[in-house]
Amino acid sequence: MKTTFELNGKPVSVEAPGDTPLLWVLRDDLDLTGTKFGCGIGECGACTVHVGGRATRSCITPLSSIEGAAVTTIEGLDPAGEHPVQVAWRDIQVPQCGYCQSGQIMQAASLLKDYPHPTDDEIDGVMGGSLCRCMTYIRIRKAIKQAAAQAAGQPGEQTGGDATHG
Amino acid sequence: MGKLERIAARQDGRALSRRGFLLTAGGAGFVFGFARPASAAQTYPSAVPGGLFEPTIWCAIGPDGTVNVNIIRAEMGQHVGTALARIIADEMEADWDKVKITQVDTDPKWGLMVTGGSWSVWMTWDVFRQAGAAARTVMIEEGAKLLGTTPAACSARNGMVTGNGRSISYGDIVARGRPTRQFTPDDMAKLPLKPATERRLIGKPVAALDIPAKTTGQAIYGIDVKIDGMVYARPKMPPTRYGTKVLSVDETEARTIPGYQRHVVLDDPSGIVPGWVVVIASTYPAAIRAADALKVEWSPGETHTVTEAEIIAHGHALIARPDGGTYVFDDKGTQDALHEASRVMERSYTCASVAHYQLEPVNAIARHIDGQWEIHTGNQWQSLVLPQLAKALAVPAEQIVMRTYLLGGGFGRRLNGDYAVPAALASKALGGVPVKLILTRSDDMAFDSIRSPSVQTIRAGLDPQGHVTGMRYDAVAGWPTEVMAPAFMQKGVDNKPYDQFAVAGADHWYQVGPMQLRAISNDLANRTFRPGWLRSVSAGWTPWALESFLDEVAHDLKKDPLAMRLSMLTAQGRNAGSAPDSNGGAKRQAAVLQRLADKIGWGRTTLPADTALGLATSFGQERGMPTWTAGAAQVHVDRKTGVVTCQKLWLVIDAGTIVDPGGALAQTEGAALWGLSMALFEGSEIVGGTIRDRNLDTYTPLRIPDVPDMDIEFADSTEKPMGLGEPGVTVIAPAIGNAVFNAVGARLRHLPIRPEAVLAALHDTTTA
Amino acid sequence: MVNDTSSRHRGAFTLLKRAVGAAILAGVVGGGGFLAYAWYPSIAPIAKPAASSFSDEAVRRGALVAAAGYCAECHTRQDRGGGPALAGDYAMETPFGAIYSPNITPDPETGIGHWSEAAFKRAMNRGVSRDGSHLYPAFPFDHFTKVSDQDVADLYAYLMTRAPVHMEHRANTVPFPFSIRLLQAGWKLMFFTPGRFRPDPNHDTQWNRGAYLAEGDAHCGSCHTPRNLLGAEKASHAYDGAVIDGWIAPPLNDHNPTPVVWTEDELFAYLRHGVAPLHGSAAGPMAPVPHQFLSQLPESDVRAIAHYYADLDHAAARAGQDQAAIAVAMAQSKIDLTGPQTDPDARLYQGACAACHYNAAPAPVSGRPELALNNALWLDEPNNLFMVMLHGIGAAEGQDGIAMPSFYAGLSDADMARIAAYLRRTRTTRPPWTDLEKKAAAMRATLKTPPINASH
Repeated sequence: MKTTFELNGKPVSVEAPGDTPLLWVLRDDLDLTGTKFGCGIGECGACTVHVGGRATRSCITPLSSIEGAAVTTIEGLDPAGEHPVQVAWRDIQVPQCGYCQSGQIMQAASLLKDYPHPTDDEIDGVMGGSLCRCMTYIRIRKAIKQAAAQAAGQPGEQTGGDATHG
Repeated sequence: MGKLERIAARQDGRALSRRGFLLTAGGAGFVFGFARPASAAQTYPSAVPGGLFEPTIWCAIGPDGTVNVNIIRAEMGQHVGTALARIIADEMEADWDKVKITQVDTDPKWGLMVTGGSWSVWMTWDVFRQAGAAARTVMIEEGAKLLGTTPAACSARNGMVTGNGRSISYGDIVARGRPTRQFTPDDMAKLPLKPATERRLIGKPVAALDIPAKTTGQAIYGIDVKIDGMVYARPKMPPTRYGTKVLSVDETEARTIPGYQRHVVLDDPSGIVPGWVVVIASTYPAAIRAADALKVEWSPGETHTVTEAEIIAHGHALIARPDGGTYVFDDKGTQDALHEASRVMERSYTCASVAHYQLEPVNAIARHIDGQWEIHTGNQWQSLVLPQLAKALAVPAEQIVMRTYLLGGGFGRRLNGDYAVPAALASKALGGVPVKLILTRSDDMAFDSIRSPSVQTIRAGLDPQGHVTGMRYDAVAGWPTEVMAPAFMQKGVDNKPYDQFAVAGADHWYQVGPMQLRAISNDLANRTFRPGWLRSVSAGWTPWALESFLDEVAHDLKKDPLAMRLSMLTAQGRNAGSAPDSNGGAKRQAAVLQRLADKIGWGRTTLPADTALGLATSFGQERGMPTWTAGAAQVHVDRKTGVVTCQKLWLVIDAGTIVDPGGALAQTEGAALWGLSMALFEGSEIVGGTIRDRNLDTYTPLRIPDVPDMDIEFADSTEKPMGLGEPGVTVIAPAIGNAVFNAVGARLRHLPIRPEAVLAALHDTTTA
Repeated sequence: MVNDTSSRHRGAFTLLKRAVGAAILAGVVGGGGFLAYAWYPSIAPIAKPAASSFSDEAVRRGALVAAAGYCAECHTRQDRGGGPALAGDYAMETPFGAIYSPNITPDPETGIGHWSEAAFKRAMNRGVSRDGSHLYPAFPFDHFTKVSDQDVADLYAYLMTRAPVHMEHRANTVPFPFSIRLLQAGWKLMFFTPGRFRPDPNHDTQWNRGAYLAEGDAHCGSCHTPRNLLGAEKASHAYDGAVIDGWIAPPLNDHNPTPVVWTEDELFAYLRHGVAPLHGSAAGPMAPVPHQFLSQLPESDVRAIAHYYADLDHAAARAGQDQAAIAVAMAQSKIDLTGPQTDPDARLYQGACAACHYNAAPAPVSGRPELALNNALWLDEPNNLFMVMLHGIGAAEGQDGIAMPSFYAGLSDADMARIAAYLRRTRTTRPPWTDLEKKAAAMRATLKTPPINASH
């Protein structure tokens, strides 16, 4: 079955069964491996992409359901990798193993669209679905706030990748 | 030479210190940030170009000035390549902007390839400084020639040699001077190392080299690898880890699934994957569905009814038996001290099974090509799995090479490379075609080498003044090292082997009079599942017993738990410590504890009702590499629901020199939150011979809203760097347990702490 | 969409199967004494009229009549990879066997090419085929009888100017004696009142326009009004809501339990764009209604339907509570999601749902459906909640261009039951649902094939 949709701004057609999870289409058919397989049941967020601009768990999204939709992956979030969230992620040195981070970044970018100046509650509410097994959560929270400030044209808060020496 | 280094030397038959001087071709491996061409079907990264000056196998300088550092440690989030490259680059006075790192493939020349135990910096510290010094020496010698002066008149800084009023870059030195100097081990040992005051990179903030690619989706993990002509595989998980036999396979329904190719009943001479049937398909989704559809009849192993409670009960029974186990300490007079004590306190503590749930499910690609087996995967202990693969494939280990990629989480799961075996066997059954085997999450959980449930019993003899005059400590758990790497086990004082990773932490630095410490292998656990090493290994659960126990003793004696601990950290006898690893001994543990107490205002703060502080201390991972750690937790307990809320965590850590401060903090943040997760949020149990929870619907590790305030401090130090990947885990659970007691008087003795247990303990308190 | 074999199509409009099954029964019960009433003559076949015999204007108007009546939904094959539009063979399963819809393209042999306008009008007005046989009430002639003569004529013009498709539908598998069409007349005798729509002089033009469309061509009651044992809509319970292939077509009157009232604006947004910001989106059998059909109508017509139902559910009188209800929902939305949490059910919701469904005051964000306000959570039964979890919502359904994944493989029946119970107790004031795991399994069983080939 042929499914046509927009991927990172360009039309693509994929020949695959309609019940194929979008995740595997992206990774194996379209060679975009930045989107990760984590839990496979939509509860860790590692596979998060944008469908119609909204964060969506690709591991449980059937290919057939995105016919005609616009899909954005981590590779297409910003052509130069300079989305404010990506920049903040590097400034704050968020990733450890990095495996969840594509999903975290996609979820955070979507969060900032809904809540441009997210409170801690809003970060909890939206990012609570994105598991980081390295537990980079402190830096994720910090980076989201910096990205929000940056996107709003304000100077970012003090970055803090370095250690506090006693 | 550290313990692990000695073990390594024994294992590969060649002293580790000599490995640094072999001149060889650059290892085929990958450079971070090397973007694969989007169109390439084969997505494993390219090799490093040749034509480099390699003073040692560890680093090379190119004619363009690029410095390549070979990293044999797995990159799993600790930014180990950056930290290690900083050591070599600092000593060689390299220009950091020109430093690249290469994760190398397996090769005997690297010696022991293992990444775990928070050992990486500690194990590499000496050899990388020497390698850096060697490179710097050559650059100055050759640079001096090109500058027309003597080495003594030259200095190196930031990738340049300066002398005679002129400067020349390392790249130009390589391009024009074509240096070839080699060093004997004796030469190397004589090379002067820079004093700590001359360090320019170590200890300074640095952007981790692996991070940029992890923000753009370009980073390549094992699961991202693609090879021309590969097929996909998914196992049909057998009912028990061991002893399962395949009786019959019915593929009628599987055949109806488009893309299904065949199934393979694995024939595994290594015994690592007994009873495995693997489904081969043209796509992974087809493999998922076909594995679900394939009907396999097994006869399960004898452990198919075993429960967590039985394993725990067996642990208690083993402790009750006077025989068995290995004595780690067996100080003369321990039993006398206990008999003569005015009072003996005894408590038992238990911990539940914990899953790794590393976010990248285990996977591997195997193929046979050009007479060689290639394994593409993420792995933490290549040296362990290669012989296992050799046995499984029935070929010499030299015919197997493992290409290591980024790890989507290690946490000890990938120390055990067992998942490469079924990929290799499936490929073998298919004549060597590339097979990409991926376990779904539920497969991965069923196959996990979980942290074994454990039982610990501590008895302390007390004199009338309330001093501990003797201690008996028994710790029983499944022994990962016994099961997977018995050659690595240590010998007890009774000369029997024991798994140091299933008791470390109990061999504490407190002055308790004579002490017996017995480590016992829980054979029922070992038979039921494959016990694993999990972040901070036994030090993730021994402090739960020890530090809870010390608080219990203090409260019983109406002593201040802080003061009591400080009085026991006297640094005498075996606790005095020794250079270079444990210089200062228990005094340093006392120092971090005192600093922590000062920070949190121990004994001086007033908190709301049912809210309290608790503290705990540890020496990190193991006595041979102590990371002095003190931690405190502030918790609130809801008496109605039993819910414990951790509001804040503090850590004070003395890990010697901090090489990469940002990385060190990140590791400690993560480790502490692992500690919190295992204390309050996760944990599973064995049901029917296997782990009950298979995915996040019921397995519930810590998420972002669960993160408390945190305050982490490292002691300033120029001592040898110790490990930091795990010590943050160690103190969290007992600090929380102690805080719960301080808040509401409920003493918990089982991990994880569940609301029901808190309610039960509260009930005990009110009815007592 | 024609190629989409997702189950929403299989489910679409098959509420009518209940009508069919019961009607067959009624025919049998009714006996043979009503032959005089029941007998209709055949209307002579005609040569297929030339397309030029219909004015462009009539065809254009007819297209809108076809859209408002969703003809293509039930007259287009959805299984077996789909079929040509209006060529029939849509499979409707009934307890008595399958019925396949006829081809209504103007193909002379297999379609309605030989039908005169009079024959067509009789079918719409009376539920009688050109050859005089009674149509099963799967064809909602009880509503179509209200459609004006002008609209019927225009619809005829539209259909007769479609490209003829030569395609037989599969033979019905309804066994004897239920296959005796004549017996359907008994059902009609009891439950069918023919007659064109009559405007209510007590209401304005917009209201009457909405009522005309809703009661007639759009046949809303077919799904939203419960049926009696014989499959006829219960007039006394008009728009009380009903179950259709597992999905609940919610009440359209003031029995609708959502905390925020279905106002004209909410109804309009839902019917026009597939999503009502304060209620949820059109999923399952309802999904095509806005997206494929009502979106073609003049906005004023959709607005009129919304106006009509807003009056029917007394929105004006009840909407005063809405702001307070939204405030409550906003507070409920974040329950258990901020700060540490150890309740396993809350953690399951957090992992599986909250990233997309969490909302912060003052109002839900578009594309972030607020479950505390959502229809599915407030209905008497958890059907729709389960169905949406299982099916997901495609980008062409619900809110345009965005998709909800399918949790078919990701959540077990027990997991779905836990989420449903948890949300019901923390996000609504309604009594707990019962037997949730069993109901989850029952809903799962309505899906013939898994919508997603995901791992677990």
